[in-house]
Formats: sequence, structure tokens, C-alpha cells
Amino acid sequence: MGYDGTWADEATPADEAVAPTGEGALSPAGDHVLVGGDWQELADAAEDDLMVINMGPQHPSTHGVLRMKLTLNGERVLHNEPIIGYLHTGIEKNLEYRPWVQGVTFVTRMDYLSPMFNELGYCLAVEKLLGIADQVPARANVIRVIMTELNRISSHMVWMATSGMELGSTTAMIYGFRERETVLDVFENVSGLRMNHAYIRPGGLAQDTPDDFAEHVNTVLTEMPRRIDEFEQLLSDNPVWIERNKGVAVLDADECLDLGVTGPVLRAAGVPYDVRVTDPYCGIEQYDFEVVTGSEGDAYDRYTVRLGEVRQSLRIIEQALEALPSGPVMVEDDKVGWPAQLALGPDGIGNARQYVDKIMGQSMEALIHHFKLVTEGFTVPSGRVYCPVESARGELGYHVTAAGTNKPYRVHVRDPSFIHIGSLPAMTSGLQVADVIAAVASVDPVMGGVDR
Amino acid sequence: MSRDDNPNVTLGEQATQRAGQLTASLPAHLAAVRDRLTQRFGDAAEGDANGLEALADRDELTMVTSPSQLVEVLRFCRDDELLSCELLSDLSGVHWPGGRLEADVEETTGWPTYASQRPGTIDVDYLLTSITQGHRFRVRVSVPDVEPRVPTAVEVYRSARYMERECYDFFGVAFEGHDHLERILMPEDWVGHPHRKDYPLGGVEVQYEGATIPPPDERDY
Repeated sequence: MGYDGTWADEATPADEAVAPTGEGALSPAGDHVLVGGDWQELADAAEDDLMVINMGPQHPSTHGVLRMKLTLNGERVLHNEPIIGYLHTGIEKNLEYRPWVQGVTFVTRMDYLSPMFNELGYCLAVEKLLGIADQVPARANVIRVIMTELNRISSHMVWMATSGMELGSTTAMIYGFRERETVLDVFENVSGLRMNHAYIRPGGLAQDTPDDFAEHVNTVLTEMPRRIDEFEQLLSDNPVWIERNKGVAVLDADECLDLGVTGPVLRAAGVPYDVRVTDPYCGIEQYDFEVVTGSEGDAYDRYTVRLGEVRQSLRIIEQALEALPSGPVMVEDDKVGWPAQLALGPDGIGNARQYVDKIMGQSMEALIHHFKLVTEGFTVPSGRVYCPVESARGELGYHVTAAGTNKPYRVHVRDPSFIHIGSLPAMTSGLQVADVIAAVASVDPVMGGVDR
Repeated sequence: MSRDDNPNVTLGEQATQRAGQLTASLPAHLAAVRDRLTQRFGDAAEGDANGLEALADRDELTMVTSPSQLVEVLRFCRDDELLSCELLSDLSGVHWPGGRLEADVEETTGWPTYASQRPGTIDVDYLLTSITQGHRFRVRVSVPDVEPRVPTAVEVYRSARYMERECYDFFGVAFEGHDHLERILMPEDWVGHPHRKDYPLGGVEVQYEGATIPPPDERDY
């Protein structure tokens, strides 16, 4: 049967009459009663002709499980209340029950897009508590800088990808994730894992880099500038990108500081605050780089700042790779340094044959030492320190308390994403709903870090 | 500075020892901060009961104050030209349970072994950062762990709004004057404050929206 102008299953007026009338139907006047939780607010708002809608927690544009309770007047946002905690896994509490070294495996999973920064911040704090910060070998420090700056690139690339997608550019998403792969290849080559590396350890690194490390990093150094240019061509003058980002979600410098906002968002407002400059770590002050700033403090400036930061990171990596000294990658102190000596065998990475022969066949003391350090770990004298690093999102601080035991007494993480979520109400008030997407994208929250 | 802590030394004694070693390693720019603050609010080391107590450890400065003058101290830190702390970097709590608590458990998986003979307290640390002056230091209030109360700092730093909610969620510290003191990371109907040391890591029933899940050691799946 051919098409004769109407579809057989097309709705007829008779079907529409099935709409609820009679008893129990919800009347538009709102005489039904909603009780409990935040639904009461919905009922209250309905009386003022305002609308409360939930954006998230399952929403493709909320960077994971962020829920925002928006109170709308038409299309305008009157109030935005971010609701978080959906990804809370109690990592900080868990750390209190594990030896210090195992903490690295936990913190690397917090902000999963910048694992290296988490590891570095935690390890710097442990080293400061132990008083061995100046004993970390030079090679370990340079590799730490290379790895964290590479991580900044990969994180910003994911930011471009997800932001692009949220604002309608799927091309940006494909490009961003592709660019990120080149960095993750280096991570995989060095640590064996693409994410959650646990590569940076208290006192140094888990293991030295493989022989073709420089080759892999050089691939990033040669490939990336071209690809950033490509990004710039794709987005910087793109009318849609400009329309969605220019003048949107503006936070000026004073507001940023009052709300605790740091990182690219603060620098986009013109404040050149960078932990790499104010509290340099791992000798990063000896490299030549600029702190990229913007002037408008809007979403577009945050984009240009991040793009600039990727270029600066490449500069740092290039210098660091040139300066990479040889030598050990773990402190001399055998009471802190991980005893295992890893080597690549026919069946993958494991303890070196020579080392296994020594502890199993020759030296009982070495075996005892190995066993004690692996199971019990080292003790850390009591005290409290705060160690910030400049993560891809801002100041990532580790506030670590030790009580003279082999486990942390308390670890608090100042995660920049958490603080930035707190700035969303101020940032999005008065915007249109579609701009909320751009605002959230521009601060780049990672819910793993927010909820911890 | 003795960093080889004897586990038999109580935390209170350790704190006294540390106060005695004051300024031993304090960098000059932080010593200036300490002088400025003790000038304004008095110095506990010089017998001023209402004054601030300065603690120095590992090149970091902690100024201990009382809850009653906390907001004033924070406002001074923000507005004073020499201090000008534009940024509240961090707000976090640490719970020190009272009595003498020595957990004798498995070496690697159990509780940390600690000894304490003072009444239980919760330290709330405000980490202030000055971008223009280039310094960082802590302002600390120590409150009893039974019904802890601290005035809110939201009027000085708006960023405290979320951080205080987190501290309330994890430690039960009531920040008085906070307009929206609700749980932030734990579910809203959760019972207990998980980061207190009397709250165990495992073995608690998971409570979520009316559903209960037995503790891991009692599950048969």
C-alpha cells in the first residue's frame, strides 16, 4: 500500500481525548500537594511563576555527575544551586588506613584527568613531612616536571574536547581526544598505564623511564604545535564558538579571589597567579615560561588562556628534556625508598632477577627489610603541611597531617574543581539556560576531584 | 627540631615542644606576618590570654586563635596592607579524639596508633594566601569535639561557603551564621560525620535513602 497522504497510525483527535481528566489527575492550578525534600521548593516556585529544573546528574553537558538545581524565570537563571557528592568515595578517609606509599594509588584516582598532579602534590607533602624534600634526585625532579606538564596538555585537550562537544562542535571533541592520545602514549610507555599511574612516589619515582622515553616525548613536541594551530583555526574565529563564549560567565578578578577561584579561570581575569611561580616545586622555576593571562574574564578568555598554557607547557617540556640528567630516581635513604628493583622480563615488568636472587638466596636482612617496608611502610614524624601544585585546573593543595605513624592521620585535598563548583551560582546568575552549559564547561570541573 | 617523635609522648606535649622551638626555622617573610598579627591581637607566648599563639613547623606558620575573634582575625588578614590575604586557599578539619586512645590492632590494615591525653578537639585550619605579598599561612581554631561551634567566615571570604559545608559534613562543626549549612558530599539523610576518628572506615551499614546494605563482613554475597 502506497502513501496516500495520511499514515495509518497517525494520531487521531480521538486518541488525544485519553488525556487524564477525572479524579486523581494533576490540575494545572497545582492543588496537588508535594511534600518533602526539595520538591517543596518546586511547589513554592511554581506559585511565583518560576520554574525549578534539574540539570543533571545524568546530563551529557555536566562533565559527569553534577546536578544543578536551576530556578528559572522564563529562560533566565535566577538561582543556581549545584548539588554534588554523587561520586563521593571517601578517598580521604581511606588514606588514613593505608601506609603512606599506598596513598599514591588513591589520590591518583581523585581528579582522574590530572593524575600526575595529584600524585605530585601528595608526594611533595609526604616529602616535606619527612624532611627529605631536598634529597629527591635531580633526575626524578626533571621527570616529574615533564610528566606533570604533559598531563596539563592532556587535561586541557580533554577540556577542549568536552567543551567543544557541549557547545555543539563534535569535531573539536574528536580532535581533542585524538591529541590527548599522543600524550597518553607517553604515559603508557613510562608507567604502563594510561590513567591512574601511581608513578610518582614519595621520595622519587616508581621506576626510571624506558630507553625510548625521549623519542616518545619528542613525538609530542613535534606533533602538538601543529595540532594546536589546527585547534586555533577551528575555534578561535569560529562564529558559533565566539557567540557562545564571548562575554559569557564573566567573573572579574575580585570576584574570582573572593570565591577562591584559581588556575586558568583566575588568569583569564588578568591575575597572573600561578603556583609554579609563587611556590615553585621540583625546580620548575629554572625553566623559561610565561604565565598566560587574559583580560575579560569570560569563557572565551579561559579558552585562549588554556591554549596558551599548552604552548607554554611544551616549552617547559622541551627545556626539561634537554636538561634531563642521568642518575637515580629515588632517594638514597633505604628506609624510605621502595625496595623493589623493577625490570622488564619476558613475562612483563616485575622484580629484577638479580634482586630476587639477592633477597631470596643471599641476604636475609635484605628480605626482612623488603618485607617490612612493603607491608608496614615508613613512619612519618608528626606535623601538618600544605603543599600546593598548579594543576590543570588551578591550585591543587594537599593538607596532610601526620601523627608519627606509618599511615597518614588526615589528608585533606583542596581540589580546585570543588572550589570552582562553588563559584557557579555567582557565575551563572542572570544567564540563559544555554549559557549555563558554556559556564560549566569554561571552569572545567572534574567530578572525581570535586567529590573525592 | 625533633622529628623523631616518641609514640609515648602525648600530642599535648608535642605541641608544647613545638611551641618552644618557635621561629627556629621560620622564614623571614612569615616571621613578619607573625609579628604583624601578634602586634594587633596580642601574643600568647608573652602571657596575653586573648592573644594569638604562633606555631612554626617545617617552614610553615600557624596562628592559633579563639573562635570568638576568628572572624576579626580573618578580616584583618584580608584587609591589612602588609598581610592582604586575598585568597582563602583551604579550610579543613582534623579530629583529635579525647582521652587516652591507643588502638592495638594489626600493623598494616587497622587504625593508626596514637596516644592522646587531652580532651577531644577538632582543629579547623584556614589556609590564607596572599598573591600580592607572596605568603601563605594558617589560622587555626581548636574547638571541643562535642558540639563544635565556629562562627562562619562567609562574610569575609565567600569561598568559605562550600568549604564550611564540607567541614560540617565530615566533622559536624556547626558554622554559626552560615545560611545553608547542609551536607554536601554525603547523602542528605546520612547519620554521622565520617571524618571523625570515632567513625570507622568499614563495618557500618550503608544507609541511603531508606535502603540499608549490611556491612561488608556480614554480607553473604
